[in-house]
Amino acid sequence: MILSTIVFLPLLFALIVAVWPNAKTLRPLAMGFAVIEFIVSLALFQQFDPNTANLQMVERYMWIERFGISYFFGIDGISLWLVLLTTFLTPIIVLASWTSVTERIKGFHVCLFILQTAMLGTFLAMDAIFFYIFWELALIPMYFMIGIWGGSRRIYATVKLFIYTFAGSVMMLVAMIYMMYLTQETTGQMSASLLDFYKLKIPFVGGTFFSLQTLLFFAFALAFAIKVPAFPVHTWLPDAHVEAPTPGSVILAGVMLKMGTYGFMRWVIPLFPEASEYWSWLFMLIGTVGIIYGALVAMVQPDVKKLVAYSSVSHMGYILLGLFAFNSYGMNGGLYQMLNHGISTGALFILIGMIYERTHSREITKYGGLAGVLPLFTIFFFIITLSSIAVPMTNGFVGEFFILMGTFQAQPVFAYFAVTGVVLGAVYMLWMFKRVFFGEQGELVKDEHHPLHDLNAREIAVLVPLVIMVFWMGLFPNNFLNYSKASVDHLVHNKNSYNLTINQPGAPATTAATATTTAPATEQTTAAAQGDK
Amino acid sequence: MNMNIGLSDILLVSPMIALFLASLVPITAKVLRGNREQNPIITLCQALGGIVVAVGLLVVFGGAGKTAFNNGLIFDGVTQWMGVIALLSAGAAMIMMYENPATTGRQFSELIFLAMSSAVGMLILVSAVDLLMVFIGLEMMSLALYLMIAMSHEEKLSKEAALKYFILGSFASALFLYGVAFIFGTTGNTNILSFMENAADLIQTSRLFLFGMVFVVLGFCFKVSIAPFHAWTPDVYQGAPTPHTAFMATAVKTVSFAAFLRVIATRSLVGSEHLFDMLQWLAVITMIVGNTAAILQNNLKRMLAYSSIAHSGYILVGVITAGVSDDAAFGASGVIFYLLSYGLMTLGAFAIASMLEKSENHIVDVDDLAGLAKQRPMIALCLTVFLLSLTGIPPTLGFFGKFYLFNAAIGEGLMWLAIWGMISSVISVYYYLRPIVVMYMKEGQADVAEHSLNATTVTVVVMAIAILFLGFVSGPLFTAVEKSLL
Repeated sequence: MILSTIVFLPLLFALIVAVWPNAKTLRPLAMGFAVIEFIVSLALFQQFDPNTANLQMVERYMWIERFGISYFFGIDGISLWLVLLTTFLTPIIVLASWTSVTERIKGFHVCLFILQTAMLGTFLAMDAIFFYIFWELALIPMYFMIGIWGGSRRIYATVKLFIYTFAGSVMMLVAMIYMMYLTQETTGQMSASLLDFYKLKIPFVGGTFFSLQTLLFFAFALAFAIKVPAFPVHTWLPDAHVEAPTPGSVILAGVMLKMGTYGFMRWVIPLFPEASEYWSWLFMLIGTVGIIYGALVAMVQPDVKKLVAYSSVSHMGYILLGLFAFNSYGMNGGLYQMLNHGISTGALFILIGMIYERTHSREITKYGGLAGVLPLFTIFFFIITLSSIAVPMTNGFVGEFFILMGTFQAQPVFAYFAVTGVVLGAVYMLWMFKRVFFGEQGELVKDEHHPLHDLNAREIAVLVPLVIMVFWMGLFPNNFLNYSKASVDHLVHNKNSYNLTINQPGAPATTAATATTTAPATEQTTAAAQGDK
Repeated sequence: MNMNIGLSDILLVSPMIALFLASLVPITAKVLRGNREQNPIITLCQALGGIVVAVGLLVVFGGAGKTAFNNGLIFDGVTQWMGVIALLSAGAAMIMMYENPATTGRQFSELIFLAMSSAVGMLILVSAVDLLMVFIGLEMMSLALYLMIAMSHEEKLSKEAALKYFILGSFASALFLYGVAFIFGTTGNTNILSFMENAADLIQTSRLFLFGMVFVVLGFCFKVSIAPFHAWTPDVYQGAPTPHTAFMATAVKTVSFAAFLRVIATRSLVGSEHLFDMLQWLAVITMIVGNTAAILQNNLKRMLAYSSIAHSGYILVGVITAGVSDDAAFGASGVIFYLLSYGLMTLGAFAIASMLEKSENHIVDVDDLAGLAKQRPMIALCLTVFLLSLTGIPPTLGFFGKFYLFNAAIGEGLMWLAIWGMISSVISVYYYLRPIVVMYMKEGQADVAEHSLNATTVTVVVMAIAILFLGFVSGPLFTAVEKSLL
């Protein structure tokens, strides 16, 4: 029951918040709920077995029997850390929004908790339609979050976000339905289960676009590429980020973009291995272009937030590059970079939000010499900057290093170009850092009518966990990678015959028994048969 | 022809009888009171009572696949489901009529009488398997509607709408009747059941039969506003009093599609490639026309009118699927399920449009919704649910409606229709989001009519909750629909 609890607890919280009568205690209440959710999610470690690539803690019940759609949650090393990233960031977001969101507080927290349910559901759902429901559900609260609490051009940004993402995902839905019929053709029973999808052998003819696998591949890949956002379809992201309120930006960068890269790992690569391999050059190209383009555009941004937004495009390009390298380094690095980006970019947006609250401006030229006025803030900003430009000992280094290693192994050409992104990243971040924090004090900083205050206790409490994660993940990456390695390597080594088995530790326990009774018997093939080569 | 009317016939048509009797109560009471209007709430209760009884009778006696009146009427799953959906929509529309300034007050008993008579016509339409019976049902339903629209207290738009609807409706009826004449000419019969078996062959061999079928289908296309026969819809929907618009967009459309489905279920589409192709193109054009034209609208009702045209296009996809599928129940249940979800969300959206009308001449623009979220959070939330559901965003019922419909289409190999449906859903996002944007994200004073206790509010809230929760049980619901059609 643990996965259902983790997914639907925030929804319950949203309901309680919605009917909570006392406006004053709303924030502490929400904070308490977010912390409870995080603690509950930590319980995953109790049951999680890092040594297997199997699907664990499975909960499966038939939902819409007519079409083989099931209520199907399961977790493996790929989703584990993304779930924890979500639950970890939520309390930080609630705390960070304490003073930045002042209107319609109740609605904000309701949106936040619904969003949390949707994101967790996306990472844990193992049934196509079930997944799609969470995937789309995530759009609604985000839409409101930007549209109601956002900046001046929020309506444009929020409608753009909605239309882009919705347009991407409808083709995925058509492809999913089509694949349900494919399962019916091969097994005689319609199923929307991802495990049954994995067993499909979809015909692939290299070189022609109209091969079935290629078409399905692109239907899925488009949806995920828009969410990532990959290079030509990324334009919604800077708009959304700039207009979103701080907590919105943090969720967007921290978790929602990962839904796209997670989609590639969970759906696209294992479902359409030949097409993925055949078109990998395209996605590595998109990734590389994204890295360089994002960095170059970030460099010339006058607005700090927009700069970080474009740096997101750049960083997400790395993840795409890693995933499509199809080797252990690339994939592990890609997954690791998803977490890193969530932590560092999330932290950057929080920091920018803090300074924006003080000065109501994000223009780089109006700052300068901030280090002398806000020393504590400067230290935090510096640490996160280092992590963002992937300095060794910070989390960013581990991820980028792995990805570049993987890319060198797979397609050196792309790696040569991608490496320039590291340099460019350092350039725009450090240059921005220099202009904001050093040099002559800008008009906003020396404004005597509004003296700037350094971080207060609440703000420090927001940032400390993030900084701890930066170093923990940077110094002891194995603490994290050990949990995901088995699953990621299983994907890498068995890409062309990927299969997930439902884990049954020892004798069939109660949850495993449910799985046995409802799942088709063919799923019971053991992982050993696959063999990690 | 030898005609025996037995007890079973009477029992089968008992819902119609009940409705008809209930429709007489308010006007009789008015006459007995010396032509003085009784309290509208009593009139409304009498009408709703009639509807509840009719729904009950339909559920009890309908659905067994029996025919009545010499195979003129059939009572199967389609009758039962579509009939219930139509009656409940009619009931909800009547609740709106009770409160809308353009329809309440004087002549309310007459209005209810007409609405109930129209509902009797609807029940005939959902159960008719004889083309002449279909015609009678259509006319009975439509004539009452023309009068209802013209009766509005509003001065100009409604009269114009009534006239437009009357002329074009009559044209559609004439077209339909013309087609029936051709079919009678070839088969010597107007009963669908009698030529159902060989319709696929007939349509290939007999030009006349093909003509007949095409005209019948075009007649329906007019009635359910399939583009390019949709031009009357926006004007009539906008001009008619909002409750009537809700009535037309849901109940009338549901029963018209029921009759359409029966004609298509003769599998004549399998016989004629051309008819099949034509309908597919009509569906695609309808989806595009409805959705793109809706983007341009600023008037809330007009926007909803265009959106309902687009939805006709989606439903037509399901009708075509049912027509070519070997497992017709599959496609048909998709249509029924879609109509159920469409009914709930469209009624809800129109109900909210109705609540915003303070006087009978009031025109509600989308921009008038500004600030509604602050003034009436509950109503704004409900409208959001309806609009998201109309867009087809999960987990609302509208998503499941589209899912079942396009699922059937993909299963039948009509992939391109499903893709077009999805693309036009994306287009629809743009205009469905606009009222939400205005309500939540723009400052302003929304013009909300002040009602202390509002029956419409209650219906709206009930529908919003239904839309959110029926999605979770959509599986069993769909299976139930499908089983009842087998």
